[in-house]
Amino acid sequence: MLHKKIESILPLVQKPARYTGGELNSVVKDKNNVDIRFAFCFPDTYEIGMSHLGLKILYGLINSKENYWCERVFAPDNDMEEAMRKNNIPLFGLESHDSLKDFDAVGFTLQYELSFSNVLNMLDLAGIPIKSEDRGDSLSDNPIIVAGGPCVVNPEPLADFIDCFQIGEGEEMMIDFLDLLNEYKKKNASRKEFLIAASQIEGIYVPSLYIVDYNEDGTIKQYTANDGAPSVVNKRIVSDLDNVYYPENFVVPFVEVVHDRVVHEIFRGCIRGCRFCQAGFWYRPIREKSVDTISKQSQKIACETGYDELSLCSLSSSDYTKITELLESLLSWATPQKINVALPSLRIDNFSDELREKLALVRRSGLTFAAEAGTQRLRNVINKNITEEEILGTCRKAFEGGWTAVKLYFMIGLPTETKEDVIGINELCQKVVEEFYSNPNKPKGKTVSVSAGVSSFVPKPCTPFQWEPQDSREEITAKQQLLKETVTSKKITFRFHTTDQIFLEAIFARGDRKLCKVIETAWKNGCTFDSWDDKFKYDVWMEAFNECGIDTAFYANRRRSYDEVLPWDHINSGISKEFLIKENEKAKKAETSMHCREQCNACGSNKLNGGKCDALSKNMVH
Amino acid sequence: MRSVRIWFTKKDTAKYISHLDLTRCLIRAFRRTDIPLWYTEGFNPHPHLVFGLSLPLGVEGENEILDIRLDDESYPDERVISELNRVTVPGIEFLKIDAPFQKPLFITSGLYEMTISSNNDENIRNTILEKINSYNIVIHKKTKKGEIKEINVSEHLTELEVLKESDSELQFSFILPAGNDFTINPIQFKDALISDFSPENISWSIVRKKLLVKDGTEFR
Repeated sequence: MLHKKIESILPLVQKPARYTGGELNSVVKDKNNVDIRFAFCFPDTYEIGMSHLGLKILYGLINSKENYWCERVFAPDNDMEEAMRKNNIPLFGLESHDSLKDFDAVGFTLQYELSFSNVLNMLDLAGIPIKSEDRGDSLSDNPIIVAGGPCVVNPEPLADFIDCFQIGEGEEMMIDFLDLLNEYKKKNASRKEFLIAASQIEGIYVPSLYIVDYNEDGTIKQYTANDGAPSVVNKRIVSDLDNVYYPENFVVPFVEVVHDRVVHEIFRGCIRGCRFCQAGFWYRPIREKSVDTISKQSQKIACETGYDELSLCSLSSSDYTKITELLESLLSWATPQKINVALPSLRIDNFSDELREKLALVRRSGLTFAAEAGTQRLRNVINKNITEEEILGTCRKAFEGGWTAVKLYFMIGLPTETKEDVIGINELCQKVVEEFYSNPNKPKGKTVSVSAGVSSFVPKPCTPFQWEPQDSREEITAKQQLLKETVTSKKITFRFHTTDQIFLEAIFARGDRKLCKVIETAWKNGCTFDSWDDKFKYDVWMEAFNECGIDTAFYANRRRSYDEVLPWDHINSGISKEFLIKENEKAKKAETSMHCREQCNACGSNKLNGGKCDALSKNMVH
Repeated sequence: MRSVRIWFTKKDTAKYISHLDLTRCLIRAFRRTDIPLWYTEGFNPHPHLVFGLSLPLGVEGENEILDIRLDDESYPDERVISELNRVTVPGIEFLKIDAPFQKPLFITSGLYEMTISSNNDENIRNTILEKINSYNIVIHKKTKKGEIKEINVSEHLTELEVLKESDSELQFSFILPAGNDFTINPIQFKDALISDFSPENISWSIVRKKLLVKDGTEFR
């Protein structure tokens, strides 16, 4: 039952079913019979958070242990937050409706930098001190605040707020963490004792155990680990996706969420090595799940949820070695059960006829290509190994198959970019339009629409471009303007991302601990939901940087030297610096690297998995 | 193919499920059972579900109806109910199944039960009763043309009966129009009754007990 106070504000807010819990497959336990209560917080709205696969996995995993109870928490929308603050209702878990203060641990998933202010806001809404140092001495004073997700590739901008980070994959690390917390809770240990012990778990990073010294120019001199914490924290990975926990059901939301379907991750990592792509390196080494496991587990989840759509997920689905076999296996039971199979993240270069036919059996979705850059030279720089002929060839096939709309994704501001590269974006789009009209069998009376989404490049840690400057806002705006001026066809539309958010993303992606006070200041001055265009307050952020005396260009627009100590150097992603430097040098010369299946480029990530990497038929150790 | 009418409740937290979400939620519930739901034919097959009358968000229902079509005529009625109750969500309970007698179009009104209570012991009974007795409870309703029309709820309110009362709480039942042609949302009625109070200080519940047809008898 809902608490009366919560019930009294629900009629006042939009989509109250986001705050009631009670969805199918949500797990309610007796709090008196569990040892550890964990709140999984997604620092964005319900609709976004409930789409997140990591939440489904960890929620199921923790609740599969009888004595642990995991609940879900999302950032309440503005109207709900206002009503909660007005009526002194603290942030609560959706299953028990108990305040987050009653939990033993509160975990945030950090999926994008622009959700950081929401982390602070949610802690504050829960009545938990936002800074680690203010949370008391005893474990019972406040929950332990933990965070994971891809942003922990560089956790430093949140170092003051998070008690410990889980670096890497959570399926095994989370249980190690909870077991330890359970043990230390039972012996009434202090927070410090627990955190020191936690720092010994593979993958756990306790920022308060590290001291940072800076050089006069503001760069980092050194990190010093204390209390026996490791000098470098290794990213934790699971070794075998076939034998690791995967949920048997998903919580099925009442309100429509962004991804409302069965999702199945078919492999981790990416063989491609596009030089701008953090995920492509961070999730390495490559580990594939078997056709049999994927098919069986998906069928079970479909059965338990009633979903009529199954989506495969990975960084590049068509690189799955047995993709055809997998689709056949899935379609054999999905089609009779009226379940659609969707396959996003298809690369154009191996979008074969065979695969196209298989997908034609299910509902047709739009055709989307990530070309990323307008010229071959620049595509070589970023190691996006697609040629113009391949892009146009695929479009031709698609047009012959009856498609009339193509979406292309590009980035501007990539390293070494020139005016020709920017104009090249429009030229490529124009060639796609011409491809449509050169099709002799084009449908009568129909026109083609080429829509190009143009975002701006953000240099990220754990990529060969981690040392590169981001274009200034002025440069990006000028390039956008140039592109707009070159368009001559009404068949082509450009959509640009706002430069303001991209700029902030660049600052935090490669930020250090000095940014903690900026985040705190901006949040205090009213910044939340920064990833939402309509809620993002650029000016307030810039004021916060000013107030804290922080130069934004130092973080966003400065080229780092290879020997600079980077804020994330003590976090080992498995990808060696030597490899990243080599790739950066090749980029400058517009030289490409082969993908991992053609040739191992010795990125080093297989060391995390005992030398094993599924990109290679033979397991090689470097 | 066989048409059947299923009676169900939508109570507790399920009252916060919007009508659109309820449709999706029930289709998924059917998909978790072995009930042979009939799908439309054509390019994009979908199951055929017809609800009697949608419930406003926040209003509970004790006797709601859903008409469906079964592909397998011999599938036992009791099994439809037991299968649905096996996979349902809290607050939605399936009560019985029978053959549709009247068309959902025949529904013209609903019998409701409303409870309004004060969270801080304000005397609300007299204020509400005064409003009701004033015979002038005005709400604003958007017409299909998008115009805002003023409606006096009192002109449409019938069979009002006080069931329980104290200074800080009032429970009463009443009938209001609810149907394809004309509906008065009981939440608007409630809002008009408590307009003198701050919404946070008021607890309320509205339950639709029955669906009625033109002659005042229960919809079947």
